[in-house]
Amino acid sequence: MTTLRILTLYSKKQVNEKSKFQGNAAQAVVEENYLQVFRREQRLKMDPSKPPFPRLPGPTRLPWLQPSGGRGVLADRPPLGRARGLAVAADRLTAGGDGVSVTSAVQRGRGAPGPAVEPAVGFGRGAPLSVGGRGLAAARGVLGSPPEPVVGKGRGMMVVAQPAECAVPPQPSPAVEVPEKVPILQAKKESDAPLKTLKDVSGEGSSLVSMFRGMGVDPMESWARGRGLMGRGPGGGSTVDTPPRVGPVGPPSVGTGRALSLDLIHSGQSLLGRGVSGVGRASISPVGFSRGPAVPAPAPTPTSAPPHGATPVSKDAPVTPEHPPTTTELKMEAALEPLKKAGTKGCPVAVGSNYISILCRNEAVFQYHVTFTPNVESLSMRFGMMREHRSTTGEVVAFDGSILYLPKRLDEVVHLKAERKTDNQEIAIKIQMTKVLPPYSDLCIPFYNVVLRRVMKILGLKLVGRNHYDPQSAIVLGKHRLQVWPGYSTCIKRTDGGLYLAVDVSHKVLRNDSVLDVMNVIYQQSRESFQDECTKGLIGGIVITRYNNRTYRVDDIEWSKSPKDTFTMANGSETTFIEYYRKNYGITIKELDQPMLVHRPKERSQPGGKVITGEILLIPELSFMTGIPEKMRKDFKAMKDLTMHINVSAEQHTQSIKQLLRNMSTSQEALTELDRWGLQLSSNILVTQGRTLPMETICLQSASFVSPVSVDWSREVVRDSAISCIPLCCWAIFYPRRAAEQAEELVATFGKVAGPMGLRLDRPIRVEMRDDRTETYVKSIHSQLASEPNVQLVVCILTGNREDLYSAIKKLCCVQNPCPSQAINVRTLSQPQKLRSIAQKILLQINCKLGGELWTVNVPLKHLMVIGVDVHHDTSKKSRSVMGFVASLNSLLTKWYSRVTFQMPNEEIINGFRVCLLAALQKYYEVNHTFPEKIVIYRDGVSDGQLKTVEHYEIPQILKCFETFPDYEPKLTFIVVQKRISTTLYSCVADRFGTPPPGTVLDHTVTNRDWVDFYLMAHSIRQGCAIPTHYISIYNTANLTPDHLQRLTFKMCHLYWNWPGTIRVPAPCKYAHKLAFLSGQYLHSEPALQLADKLYFL
Amino acid sequence: MDVRFSPPLFMQRYQFVIEFVKKFAPRKVMDVGCADCSLLSKLKFHRHCVELLAGVDIDCAAIRQRMHALAPLTCDYLQPASRPLTIELYQGSVTEREPCTRGFDLVTCIELIEHLEPWEVERFSDVVFGYMAPRAVIVSTPNAEFNTLLPGLTGFRHKDHKFEWSRAEFNTWALGICWRYGYTVDFTGVGEAQDSSVGFCSQIGVFQRHPELNVPVNNTPVEATVYRLLYKVVYPSLQDNNIFHRTLVSEVIYRAECLRRAWEEEEEEEEGVAGQTVYRCGRSVHVPLLRVWACPRVQALCADLHHLQEVLLGDSRVQLDANGGAVVLPGDEQEGEEEEEEDCGREEFAMRPAKCNIEEDWDAEIG
Repeated sequence: MTTLRILTLYSKKQVNEKSKFQGNAAQAVVEENYLQVFRREQRLKMDPSKPPFPRLPGPTRLPWLQPSGGRGVLADRPPLGRARGLAVAADRLTAGGDGVSVTSAVQRGRGAPGPAVEPAVGFGRGAPLSVGGRGLAAARGVLGSPPEPVVGKGRGMMVVAQPAECAVPPQPSPAVEVPEKVPILQAKKESDAPLKTLKDVSGEGSSLVSMFRGMGVDPMESWARGRGLMGRGPGGGSTVDTPPRVGPVGPPSVGTGRALSLDLIHSGQSLLGRGVSGVGRASISPVGFSRGPAVPAPAPTPTSAPPHGATPVSKDAPVTPEHPPTTTELKMEAALEPLKKAGTKGCPVAVGSNYISILCRNEAVFQYHVTFTPNVESLSMRFGMMREHRSTTGEVVAFDGSILYLPKRLDEVVHLKAERKTDNQEIAIKIQMTKVLPPYSDLCIPFYNVVLRRVMKILGLKLVGRNHYDPQSAIVLGKHRLQVWPGYSTCIKRTDGGLYLAVDVSHKVLRNDSVLDVMNVIYQQSRESFQDECTKGLIGGIVITRYNNRTYRVDDIEWSKSPKDTFTMANGSETTFIEYYRKNYGITIKELDQPMLVHRPKERSQPGGKVITGEILLIPELSFMTGIPEKMRKDFKAMKDLTMHINVSAEQHTQSIKQLLRNMSTSQEALTELDRWGLQLSSNILVTQGRTLPMETICLQSASFVSPVSVDWSREVVRDSAISCIPLCCWAIFYPRRAAEQAEELVATFGKVAGPMGLRLDRPIRVEMRDDRTETYVKSIHSQLASEPNVQLVVCILTGNREDLYSAIKKLCCVQNPCPSQAINVRTLSQPQKLRSIAQKILLQINCKLGGELWTVNVPLKHLMVIGVDVHHDTSKKSRSVMGFVASLNSLLTKWYSRVTFQMPNEEIINGFRVCLLAALQKYYEVNHTFPEKIVIYRDGVSDGQLKTVEHYEIPQILKCFETFPDYEPKLTFIVVQKRISTTLYSCVADRFGTPPPGTVLDHTVTNRDWVDFYLMAHSIRQGCAIPTHYISIYNTANLTPDHLQRLTFKMCHLYWNWPGTIRVPAPCKYAHKLAFLSGQYLHSEPALQLADKLYFL
Repeated sequence: MDVRFSPPLFMQRYQFVIEFVKKFAPRKVMDVGCADCSLLSKLKFHRHCVELLAGVDIDCAAIRQRMHALAPLTCDYLQPASRPLTIELYQGSVTEREPCTRGFDLVTCIELIEHLEPWEVERFSDVVFGYMAPRAVIVSTPNAEFNTLLPGLTGFRHKDHKFEWSRAEFNTWALGICWRYGYTVDFTGVGEAQDSSVGFCSQIGVFQRHPELNVPVNNTPVEATVYRLLYKVVYPSLQDNNIFHRTLVSEVIYRAECLRRAWEEEEEEEEGVAGQTVYRCGRSVHVPLLRVWACPRVQALCADLHHLQEVLLGDSRVQLDANGGAVVLPGDEQEGEEEEEEDCGREEFAMRPAKCNIEEDWDAEIG
């Protein structure tokens, strides 16, 4: 819900005519707009810092191709900028791969990202050579000064790779390729140089292929993605479609090999971005690869999922005789081998997940390129013209203005005529077939998702934000004036197991109050600080407007404006807000003096290329609040009322999903809609085989024990000595007079429980304060720390839940006078019968804060450093985000070094990261007198769309960091941690769904085809549904096997000392999160470095 | 076309209908030839008294294109309207008689008749004015005389137009209708040219039936027999008893909770008029109904206190005291029970010594 569908007031006016472009997807979609709608969403998902994607550039827009084959443009930028540019392009490209950014493939500018990406890929992937640093240097060379021949080879290989893989004898296949290309290239008046190159390159390529293959069965289990690549590369077989676009590349100044490669690359990309990158990498350094083990061992066949190999093949079979030229492509896609990501350790267990397999009944989807001569600029006009030719294209169409997808085969080239209404000009429309896609192709997924949204709407579900909800089943919580709408978030994806509908059960909290109502309540409660309170309570909130179904984030409140003010509409005329809403929506605004809410949309460009900026002003009276009110969040009882409805058990979860499937299968209209593209949903929830990882052994100082099935060792840790305890000789406890009794009891209890835990605890300095004002606390602590510099720990008893006080104490003790501190709410001490266990917990926490070590698990890797990174975004002050960084310093993984950096918006996280990493390495050296040989980074908070950026931008920067130290080339494994995901796992016993046990891992079928990834449920579920954490190995020169990755991750989930059990993310991530939260929420600045080697932030 | 209207002509036509709906206050409106329902989607905002909006078009693909946009908005559920609204869309021809189309207050035929063959216009007139016989009809059609101002235009404005009438032709047809079916007509239009002699770009005839011909309308819903129902949606409204009860109960509970909280904060000091103060009775808190009802939101829903009492007595979600004069709110549950739940019921387990694991060495495995 953070990204909103938005439009400015200007465009609001146009929405009636133009809602196709801007309206909410649900309302606006007409068939032609499948891609359009999709594109818009895509844009919204993208990072704003990225340059807008070139849209429909037309022949004039391929600027970077003009000077000298694509790299010229990048080359004259400063290195940093270049790297970024590359990464960005790369990101897009990937997206093509995982079905997200078909945008890139679909648009005519497609060629562009291709070449831009290529070097980046060569770099990113080339680097991880297991041979060592030389490879790295070489790879870097590639980036710096593009060594044409190498790259050319890489690409050339792809040409060959296509036929080679399609099970046709390699020799003849280039021939198949060439004839297809020849006429078009010539027709486009390309010099025939490229053609020659093609032949040359292919000759050369075949040898490379064999080499590549040889590696494929590397006995060293080196990680090559060779097979997968070759399987995918063949997308290039369809180069047919590219020449029209690559046209301008032709000038002879362009290196010949390059010109052609561009074209190949780009076509390869259009099927699956991966092919390209992979090949490039392979050619640069055929020695070590960062992911995907060489041996294409198939993942354990999922029990109910369509086996990836089998389905496509059988699908091809009928196609082959009918369309010989296209079979190659279909086969190519079919030959795709999944990455080697399956582990074997642990016990097999039946696991269900919220995926529904989709059967594609269409034989193929046909892609066409549509040209209008003379050119028609207006997209809507293009749509209109195509609509008139429904008799030719049929009713089922996905058209984005230039690329057309149909489920039916037209002639190779179809010529049509239309008349431009504005000037009666006759327009020739040429529809040329460019590709025959398998129906499960990534290119099809965007419009399948549009179909899915229509189906949801047909079922009567309402789109709110991005998900669909059922207002008929709303749960009304009158007491809190809110409603909970049950619903679904749905999405069609292609995973390792094939095409799936991923369904998650979602609940939307909507409030019966308009923002004006809320403001009125605030006004009654606090007249003096009314504006401040409003700012606090409303900014960052999501509102839904009364006159459409759109949601907006409130970014600001404009107190000086009112609905009586005027604004300029798109046609230039001025109107007041009152008049605007009266006229367009028949709404009479009652309160004329209300302030206005401001929404600042992320800058984005419209399909027409027009960039939308500026603010949107919303009327509080016409906006409804959504989400849980802040006040309610703190109200334990109210939240219980609410979570009762929201936290559904696995049983209820699966019931809801089954209900949706039933509704779909009983609605004729919905079935028809799906059938238009030949989609058929399975009626069952995916059940497959997962594993439970072996239980870990928890080691205390002398005692050790196998983690119980409940993954809870809270009793053990208070009974035996921790690994190390810091004697507490000098500490001070601060409490207001009225909490004197509780403070006394706490100190007494501390004394009783400390012994068994191995803690030495002296009597504290008691500081009783006359009141509990914030200044009193701050003054007392400050003077105490000044007079007694040896104080090891500050303990404060707080009265009530006071954020300002907490913040003040933490600021003082973490920034100004660095000293570990422990704040305790007096309420937690109020129950005598629980005081003992509470005191034990507090003591454990205190020991951590002082630098003690509680427990560990054995990680059989030497000279290892594990790093956790998380980012905290302050919702109210969206200007800054905070990165927490935590790195292990010893082999037991019990000493941690932590740092914090603040980022301004648009500032790359990596800048701060580098500083932290260098400091951590130095510290490691201080402690161990050597550098770590293997570094495993767990990076939280990276969305799917940013994976490529991380791979191509962050990782090279990290590698560069190591150069700071002479002859230092550690192995690096970079794992992205995603916890807010929509995948749910169920245990599955006798047809009943429940929660799977801790340690359940699923590493196939629902996993991402582009990465080595897995889902791990490390924690135990008390309530609700089991949401595993998704781990994606982005980079792995440490060559950790899937088993290692999974088990290391599970081990790391045991090491969070604030919880004697497993947690859902690796401990360093959780520490980093805690640290970032403390710094961003309370400290607002970097904590003192003196504390960096202690877990003071727990 | 260089002649551009601002707002665009189609908007002006819609605006004309909207203004008419505002003045004429029809309850049932049908748009004949509704195409992609753009007029209907405007009217659903400017509904004034409209309770039934129907659309008919022969092209079911056109209707389907955007029909789901007519569904209620999220906010229609959050704040149900006081008046009901139903939207129905049919596929059918205006030259066919369909019983469910009778009894409408207003039928609009915007830019429709010029798409009919001349012989169909006869049938159309007979069906709309003779059979459907609504209280009012708005017919708009291009004014052929205006075409001279449209540069580059040869023939008709749209290739599907079968004819385009001059003002005289339109008048003749319209007056014929009035004479035959008992209507009066006013001529007007939208899209004025500088040269007013050619008339409006779109000419409009507003037909109204002679009042004496109006027969009491039968309100029982009739199922379509000739037309095909493509879409029907009933908007949430307070006329729906369930929704009314739900809304009212929510408001009552919320109000009662507010009063109770205020009372708790003031530590029960308040000494008010007897029967008007919140008081504790056993574990529960009683809030006088009168004070709940005093809330404008509650009053807006239920103007009569007795009615309120009646409704609440029949609703299990609210508990009233014995004489029905106060809302009973359950007392506070004990706090803190849940907080430490995780500690309860966990049996002691014996300390298990670590299994003699075979020493693992991943470094060796990696090689």
